[in-house]
Amino acid sequence: MAALKPGEVDLGTTIMAVSFDGGVVIGADSRTSTGTYVANRVTDKLTKVDERIYCCRSGSAADTQAVADIVKYHLDLYSAEHGEMPTVKVASSLFQELCYHNKNNLMASIIVAGWDKQNGGSVYEVPLGGSLHKRDFSIAGSGSSYIYGYCDKVFRPNMSKEECIEFVKNSVGLAITRDGSSGGVIRIAVITEDGVERQVVYGNQLPLQYTG
Amino acid sequence: MSIMQYNGSAVVAMTGKNCVAIAADKRLGQRALTVDMGFDKVFPMTNRLYVGLAGLATDVKTLHDRFRMHVNLYKHREERTIAPKTFAHMVSHMLYERRFGPYFVEPVIAGLDDNQQPFICNMDLIGCPNFPNDFVVCGTADENLFGMCESLWEPDLGPEELFETISQALLNAVDRDAMSGWGAIVHILTPDGVITRELKGRMD
Amino acid sequence: MAPLLEPNAGFKFDNAKRNQLLSDKGYMVPTATKTGTTIVGLIYKDGVVLGADTRATNGSIVADKNCRKIHYLAPNMYCCGAGTAADTDFTTSMISSQLALHSLNTGRDARVVTAMTMLKQYLFRYQGHIGAALVLGGYDVMGPHLFTIYPHGSTDKLPYVTMGSGSLAAMSVFESSWRPELSREEAVEMVKDAIEAGIFNDLGSGSNVDVCIITKDNVEYIRGYSQPNERVPKEQSYRFAPGTTEFIATAPAATANDAAAMDVS
Repeated sequence: MAALKPGEVDLGTTIMAVSFDGGVVIGADSRTSTGTYVANRVTDKLTKVDERIYCCRSGSAADTQAVADIVKYHLDLYSAEHGEMPTVKVASSLFQELCYHNKNNLMASIIVAGWDKQNGGSVYEVPLGGSLHKRDFSIAGSGSSYIYGYCDKVFRPNMSKEECIEFVKNSVGLAITRDGSSGGVIRIAVITEDGVERQVVYGNQLPLQYTG
Repeated sequence: MSIMQYNGSAVVAMTGKNCVAIAADKRLGQRALTVDMGFDKVFPMTNRLYVGLAGLATDVKTLHDRFRMHVNLYKHREERTIAPKTFAHMVSHMLYERRFGPYFVEPVIAGLDDNQQPFICNMDLIGCPNFPNDFVVCGTADENLFGMCESLWEPDLGPEELFETISQALLNAVDRDAMSGWGAIVHILTPDGVITRELKGRMD
Repeated sequence: MAPLLEPNAGFKFDNAKRNQLLSDKGYMVPTATKTGTTIVGLIYKDGVVLGADTRATNGSIVADKNCRKIHYLAPNMYCCGAGTAADTDFTTSMISSQLALHSLNTGRDARVVTAMTMLKQYLFRYQGHIGAALVLGGYDVMGPHLFTIYPHGSTDKLPYVTMGSGSLAAMSVFESSWRPELSREEAVEMVKDAIEAGIFNDLGSGSNVDVCIITKDNVEYIRGYSQPNERVPKEQSYRFAPGTTEFIATAPAATANDAAAMDVS
């Protein structure tokens, strides 16, 4: 099965996405590492694939960038052919298709999130084997294992946009402190009908938590 | 053991003032067994250009034939003889073409260009070229040759001085390498022609 | 003979089976020349500065004391290479020719992102087997750009970057002194310091500092901008007296182009 090749760049990573009425909030840490060396401490793992659709990348940097580039190409083509924006479901199906058919060669675990006219905000998860799951919220990456309990406890359906942002900040913040492969800043994007709003939480502004 | 050590070899080229020299040992072995004491490793491509091939003997022969074919094809197509720099790039591309299944050969190229200026070049087995202005070495005695050349070489040597320098560098290098030796051959390329000399070496 | 003469693209694998057999028999496959390397790049007020050391190694042997690691890509773009020397040489020269054709077709200077995308897609296709780690810098209609490209095909976009075995030493210089809007003099000096940190603290890097300054309409490529390792001149000479080496004179062998070897008239 898929594994990181020697010397390959790893996205270590904590990524998450939460949907709310009218949009989604996505978040990620910013650490990229090669072994124990931090190759990039301000990485943007929230990658735009269409006007209102983003993906959160975890796994191999090369593989996820390549997959995201291919999906972006197909979505651009889709818009040109259909004269309208693709839905998040279409985007996530493209990711799923690529990840499933190349499952033996890819190390990519991706969250697809965004807004579309038909369904409002939605979150899809494409884990390692290339399956596709619709979620109310989703967490992934090495850091996610530290926050499953926290997220399951804190998440409530129908949270407001502000509550979702706080939820993402707190969750990713907790993962960053416990996971050695996650770190740097927290990058957040809020995707609604009105557009995409980007936020950055610096390392010294992480939400308050027990640090010993 | 590396396949590059299977047959044993030592090849060196040096620049001088309006001249260039290339030399190689004569041994062909199968690991420790000496098979031939007169095996050619340096080949003329034109009368201003020689190529030395160190490494696996079967590939030395194969590549020599292929180089000869391409040099002749070049002459047919271009109606002129190939320049050393052009030849070096041709060799480099021929080796890199087999990046993932290489010939086990490290070439050394020595020649005089159109302005009678010395040109030397060597490559690794996948064709990464290196164009220094002093000397190039390769083969099983390469470490010894590096040491000898670093201390003996100096700029602007005339043909006779260059002959002494390259000969002493090679003979003393192969004396401390078990896989190469058994005499050597030296070619000195000058604007007036090529001087070829055979050297006596230890036979053990 | 005909198939040999046709132009054919791509790698050849006709030796692969034999080489695998030799390798299975215990004959180690030799290593290619690596560039241990410190390469860096940074963005300053008016453009990009690239820097590189000049050592190439083959195991513990210094294969080349003054090699060129800043490669030409396009008139407005240069690319530093680390890793397998042949791979960085050939990858950059191949992409360079594709960029030249691209700008001839479009009638414009190629953009840096175009070069970056071409490089990453090429390297991704070979799944890391082409061992080229690159720092790509250039100036186009969108301004100055700087990217790192890893052998597996991942890319990063940052204002200051380092790569190669000396990247940690070089990054420590940048992390402690880089700031936005550096002047040209400050930028070049900082790149020099970063490369020298690699030269002196990393065994895989050495010799001289090359720099390349790319601005809106100008490129300045300085070979040996700093030469902190010049060899001390020899006090005496090892020149041998003529007649030192005993020899037998022989006639030169026939060349490939001699009429006797092959009639090409």
